[in-house]
Amino acid sequence: MNLHQFWNDLVRYRIILLMLAPGVIFFLLFAYVPMVGIILAFKHYDYAGGVFGSPWNGLANIRFFFESGDAWRVTRNTALYNIAFIIVNNLLQMFTAIFLFEVGGKWFRKITQTIMFLPYFISWVVVGAIAYNLLNTDIGTVNALLKGLGMEPVDIYNTPAYWPYILVFVSAWKMLGYGTVMYLAAITSIDTEMYEAAEIDGANIFQRMLRVTIPNLYPTIIILTLLAVGNIFRGDFGMFYNLIGNNGVLFSTTDVIDTFVFRSLITTNEIGMSAAAGVYQSILGFTTIMVVNYAVRKYDKDRALF
Amino acid sequence: MSKSSGIKQTDRQLFAVIGYTILAILACLCIIPFILILSSSLTEESSIVVKGFQFFPSEFSLEAYQILFKYPDQMLKAYTVTILVTAVGTALGLLLTAMTAYCISRRDFKWRNHFSFFFFFTTLFNGGLVPWYLLMVNYLHLKDTPLALILPLLLNVFYIIVMKSFMSAIPEAITESAKIDGAGDFLIFIRLILPLSKPALATIGLFLALGYWNDWYNALLFISDQNLMPLQYYLYKMLGNMDGMRKAMMGSGAVVTTIIPTEGLKMAMTIVASGPILIAYPFVQKYFVQGLTIGAVKG
Amino acid sequence: MSKKKSILLALVLTFVMLLSACSGNTNKAAESPQPTKEPQASAPEKDAVEPGIDTSKEVKLKMIFVGPKPVDYDTVFAEINKKLKEKINATIEGEFLDWSDWAQKYPLKLAANEDFDLIYSANWAGYNDQALKGGFLDLTEELLSTYMPKTWELMPESSWDQSKVNGKLYMVPQNRGESVEKLILYREDLREKYNLPALDSPEAYANYLKTIAEKEQGVIPFTPETGDWKLHNLDRVLLKQQFEWNMLDFDLPIGFKLTDEKGQIFNVYETEEFKGLLSYYKDLADNNSWSKNVLNNKNDHQQDFKEGKTASITHNMGTLGALKAAMERENSPFKAALADITPDKKKSQAVATQNGTSIHATSKNAERALMFIDLMQNDAELHNLMMYGIDGVHYTAVGDNKYQSTDKSANYTGFSNWSFNSDLNRDDVAFPEEASAMEKSWQETVYHYPLETFVFDNSKVKTEVANVSNVMLRYAIPLEYGAIKDVDKGLADLQKQLGSAGIEKIIAEVQSQIDAFLAAK
Repeated sequence: MNLHQFWNDLVRYRIILLMLAPGVIFFLLFAYVPMVGIILAFKHYDYAGGVFGSPWNGLANIRFFFESGDAWRVTRNTALYNIAFIIVNNLLQMFTAIFLFEVGGKWFRKITQTIMFLPYFISWVVVGAIAYNLLNTDIGTVNALLKGLGMEPVDIYNTPAYWPYILVFVSAWKMLGYGTVMYLAAITSIDTEMYEAAEIDGANIFQRMLRVTIPNLYPTIIILTLLAVGNIFRGDFGMFYNLIGNNGVLFSTTDVIDTFVFRSLITTNEIGMSAAAGVYQSILGFTTIMVVNYAVRKYDKDRALF
Repeated sequence: MSKSSGIKQTDRQLFAVIGYTILAILACLCIIPFILILSSSLTEESSIVVKGFQFFPSEFSLEAYQILFKYPDQMLKAYTVTILVTAVGTALGLLLTAMTAYCISRRDFKWRNHFSFFFFFTTLFNGGLVPWYLLMVNYLHLKDTPLALILPLLLNVFYIIVMKSFMSAIPEAITESAKIDGAGDFLIFIRLILPLSKPALATIGLFLALGYWNDWYNALLFISDQNLMPLQYYLYKMLGNMDGMRKAMMGSGAVVTTIIPTEGLKMAMTIVASGPILIAYPFVQKYFVQGLTIGAVKG
Repeated sequence: MSKKKSILLALVLTFVMLLSACSGNTNKAAESPQPTKEPQASAPEKDAVEPGIDTSKEVKLKMIFVGPKPVDYDTVFAEINKKLKEKINATIEGEFLDWSDWAQKYPLKLAANEDFDLIYSANWAGYNDQALKGGFLDLTEELLSTYMPKTWELMPESSWDQSKVNGKLYMVPQNRGESVEKLILYREDLREKYNLPALDSPEAYANYLKTIAEKEQGVIPFTPETGDWKLHNLDRVLLKQQFEWNMLDFDLPIGFKLTDEKGQIFNVYETEEFKGLLSYYKDLADNNSWSKNVLNNKNDHQQDFKEGKTASITHNMGTLGALKAAMERENSPFKAALADITPDKKKSQAVATQNGTSIHATSKNAERALMFIDLMQNDAELHNLMMYGIDGVHYTAVGDNKYQSTDKSANYTGFSNWSFNSDLNRDDVAFPEEASAMEKSWQETVYHYPLETFVFDNSKVKTEVANVSNVMLRYAIPLEYGAIKDVDKGLADLQKQLGSAGIEKIIAEVQSQIDAFLAAK
């Protein structure tokens, strides 16, 4: 641990350190330097004072959030939605990738994969517009279909209970192609010798999938999950806002921290208050990821993030 | 190849039936809304207003596209900016991502976890918009420069870590043998690691390209010069000006009259912006079609 | 153990970077207030002023507008600059914040203290907030009377007063009264078809809506405006106009009676009038007077009206008059008409801060910037150029106060030149007679009330304001549109939530500010 040892390490890793330098400098400059902005969460920002000269105001900025009585509800909603997204999206993407890899001719694969990528390109604004056209009570396609079948129309936009399912579905639909690519790349990287070995052992295709392909995808699953866990307290604002908008009737099941903060602060437009809400999300995310990463480390050192 | 005839035919058939069915259902769910978008972009706005979106345009109209291409020079310029930024950003970003990922994937590099943490930490905490803007505009003077579009998306921790996890899967034996042959770290990276990481490079390259292609937020913040406006921002502005104007003037007594096919325009924008990259996508795909035989490289 | 060392290294590195950033910025922070003082310090030097202000040094002014850059910006602004150069030895450059992103960029430009001299400002663009945070230059009487003598002379005293925040002036408001009262635009052909009485009261309007809902298939009786304020257009007609109230801010449920000399404020949601309005709304909602999905509908209500999809909308006079004119010009199969369903009630005028121009707190050319505003509002030639573009190209002058659009009009329009509104403005010849007449009759009955110039400083109750605004969206709006089945319970919920959000604290704060304001008068 002495200085001598440190110096030796520097020499030993000089090429690696040199290769790391651009990345390190990049994040220092573009991520760590602006992080001083976190202090704005504890300041009353005024233009003459700027970031450093504005007066401190302690925890006053975050009071709006905890005094609203909604803090617990929106925090819980945010985490639950993200957990649902992580589980559903990853499973769906993984199985889609496996099927794409194992099934079908070249053209079938190309076409389905390209089609699955389509939703990724549709902006949330447009997704919101399409959802409205499909789901509304007056002229929506779903209700037209129900009426056609002689059933009662469903008032989807006034019924909070439907929305968790709709949101999970939409998220899975939109990210399908994107995530599938990641799993495809992972499957492609599996050494083909392993498959051959499985075949020699007489495994059928289902067994091969369960015993070879999926275990080889564990590292990818773990990494993607860990990366997502750090952000489970951040809601996808674009998605929630464009699908739910300002429909207060649905807030009980659809409100996440980001939409709540946006709505609360749109009239006051306080830089310090939104910074404080961001710090709240960061601290929760940081704590969660440290715990989860520690657990993964216990289980397998190499699978942990750091 | 992976599909040898050694596996029992019946299992394979059953598997294929399940696979085809699921994939076909998913593909339908993905393409139906897109058809809706395409059809709506070609429908007369008044017809959308009255009947909602339709699968076949009941009243055909090219008006939305005519508005989008009203100033073809501007559109062409925007395409050029986007293509250049995407190309440069993806190439540079991919190289740096791979290089950084390689370093922290090396098991014999004893500070790798500390550096991983150093990178990962930035995804949890950030300083918010105002300090970021101050840094970019007042200190680095990147306003109205192409760098303002390239730099912010150049490196992404998420991609670095995904890349790292791919590279960790490469057997150490390969690099060990190269080391014994006297190859330096950089040479190993270029000669051995990069070729073995093709699927990962294709994936991350695709994600980077998509990120650059779809980015309008950095342009919103840092670009006011029309010659540097990327496609997505150009489209976003066009729609926003039509839509946002009314909203901004809600409280004002000012007069707003222009009525524009905003629904059709939104849909046409989706088509115009996603078209080119969808055409390019199948070419990237070839890297995912075949498995790599890592064993073959060992020899 | 080397683990600690590397973390230490990273920390040291970070710290060094932070420090350098700090020092860079503290210098800047120390610098920035200086230019603010400069103009104030130089202004009182009376001797330099009287006969001619020193304009020997050429200056370039930069102004931030909201709205898209007009297509013919170059040609029109070149013309403006030619004149400006002659008159005050200055040129102007515009930067335009598009409608799509102005709300993000506008506060950012001020927060980051970018380099510009003038900026469009307005109550709906956060004028009070930005002024309180120190974004705008404090305009003293000396500055105004010295550098903008014409404006100083012509601007009504009340407009200056309305533009003051905490007793200081940060804006040169527009110099033209504007009506903010909301009207109904409805389908006259349908009214005639069902032989309904004229729409001149809330009851007559309700009758119209219910008749359409019952008899006219495929037409939605009423469509609200998307993204409206929380006390929306229809609330304003049926509460503010009907009961002769006004609200401090349409995103806060705080009202007062126009005639109340003491300026007693109250919680709108606790009044009997609001309760009455809720049952009025509930009756309409139960009779399908608007879409069940009204809370998610993002359609443009004007477009819907034009296409015959909806049978009535509300908006201000200018917008509805222009829409009616457009429909007539395009030979629409539908016959539109304007209705004031609260006639004979006192009309109030928009506050002056609806449109204005502010000087950036750190502008180095504040004097010349003020002279520029003076010319834009009061020099006929420059005013016309700024407002309508080039005569014969972008408009055709008709007499002294009217204009006719040309096919090039669209190439110079759509951005916030409204802050230069003044008596020199021209009106569109195509504007409907009926609307102009109504506007004129309103002008004559405009009521000036004691609190007209009161401005609320919310800095002590930001937390409560944030939470109340959220409660309004979550509990009040669904209640108003009849999405809550049990109105009484909904209202009780709303009142309870507002209570815990801290409405009482806001009301107490507002009341003490009003009392101080009235006492000082």
